[in-house]
Amino acid sequence: MSMTAISCQHLGKAYGHYQVLHDVNLTLAPGECFTLLGPNGAGKTTLLKILATLQRPSEGHYEMLGMNGQTDRDALRSHFVFLAHSTHVYDDLNARENLAFALALRGQRPTDHDIKMALDRVHIGAFAEMKTRHYSAGMKKRLALARTMLARPRILLLDEPFTALDSDGTAIMRDYIGERLSDNGTVIMATHDPEQARPVTTRAGRLRHGTLQEIALDSCVRRNDGRDMQPDDAFS
Amino acid sequence: MTPFLKTIRWILWKDLVIELRCRETIASMVFFALIVILIFSFSFSMDQQAAHDVLAGMIWVAFAFTGMIGLGKSFSAELQNDCLEALQMAPVSRGTLYLGKVAANFAFMFVVEILLFPMFVILFNVDVVEDLSLLLVVFSLATAGLAAVGTLFAALTVHIRAREVMLPILLLPMVVPVMIAAVEATKGALNGDPLSLYRPWLELLAIFDVVFTIVSFWMFDFVMDA
Repeated sequence: MSMTAISCQHLGKAYGHYQVLHDVNLTLAPGECFTLLGPNGAGKTTLLKILATLQRPSEGHYEMLGMNGQTDRDALRSHFVFLAHSTHVYDDLNARENLAFALALRGQRPTDHDIKMALDRVHIGAFAEMKTRHYSAGMKKRLALARTMLARPRILLLDEPFTALDSDGTAIMRDYIGERLSDNGTVIMATHDPEQARPVTTRAGRLRHGTLQEIALDSCVRRNDGRDMQPDDAFS
Repeated sequence: MTPFLKTIRWILWKDLVIELRCRETIASMVFFALIVILIFSFSFSMDQQAAHDVLAGMIWVAFAFTGMIGLGKSFSAELQNDCLEALQMAPVSRGTLYLGKVAANFAFMFVVEILLFPMFVILFNVDVVEDLSLLLVVFSLATAGLAAVGTLFAALTVHIRAREVMLPILLLPMVVPVMIAAVEATKGALNGDPLSLYRPWLELLAIFDVVFTIVSFWMFDFVMDA
């Protein structure tokens, strides 16, 4: 196994004249969880979308598990899951069908028992046969989490993973992230809520005007005066 | 079954299940086509001979514009909850996604054509041809051509705000050979002409289908990446 799970070298992204990311360098080893902080428009989602092969960087290059992000995209895609703002759920399929379809595209064929276990774990097992059109935002997020659990990726790319989740859902999400880290998985998580991320974070960084600056974990999640850090403090 | 075929089957399954549940695409296609057929029917009600002369053209005008509605919805439906992103991140070749979508689009268009053809038969007093299978071959080949090119352009225009306008503008010039060949072959089949008279049009349709399916298969990677 490669000792480097994710490596970004001088990564940059521009939309026309607007430079969203500038000279981003980041190296993560297996078992690390990097929490990405920054204000709206800082480039967090753009960075995650580049790593998820949804966008191409304007400059620099990146590797994941030793595979080049530009040239080995097809091979790379079977090793990560991007849990995005949107849930990637089809409203006219039920939960079971959504999972079966998504995993089939990854070449996986979960049994009914596997699907039931995953849905039960995120506490929506009772709604497995209901069209997801009738799900709340939090239930859709849980379904996306169940899909991620069944996929068992080596790399997790999470964009605001706690949004729309209640305290129970947040705990399930955190437990799962911890489980992946214990299993030598690697996580990059963009969030506005460092407190929620703290228990699983091993390193953190702040994106500001497209530049990534690594910050000490303590300063990220807890202020020196002992007061719990508020979400906006992270952006100051 | 190979992973390649499995992926195509899953995409087809997903599109068919969703369509069976919400019936948005086929319902709007049939409704639009019925309006077109009725307008043609009233326009030619006084002159049955003129109607018979241009019947094949009317059939394909109705089928092509109806197909455009289905093609337009093919990828715009994937924008819900950003499902298109999930397809883009799927660890499968883009070509299999393309073929899955082509299969689904072909199925929708062909079903609508089969539903609509009897309307033409009734409203234009067409003698039902002896060998319907030849007509089905014409419909299949021409619909496959429309689906092959249309699926590529539907993916190309999915992120454009005016995609409903752009899709026909881009697609119709590309499928002119299909339309001409389909009209000529349909005319031959409806008239009960010997196959040898319109075989070249069928061959043209088959060649178009093969060439554009292969080209689109390879180009789909760039289109999905764009």
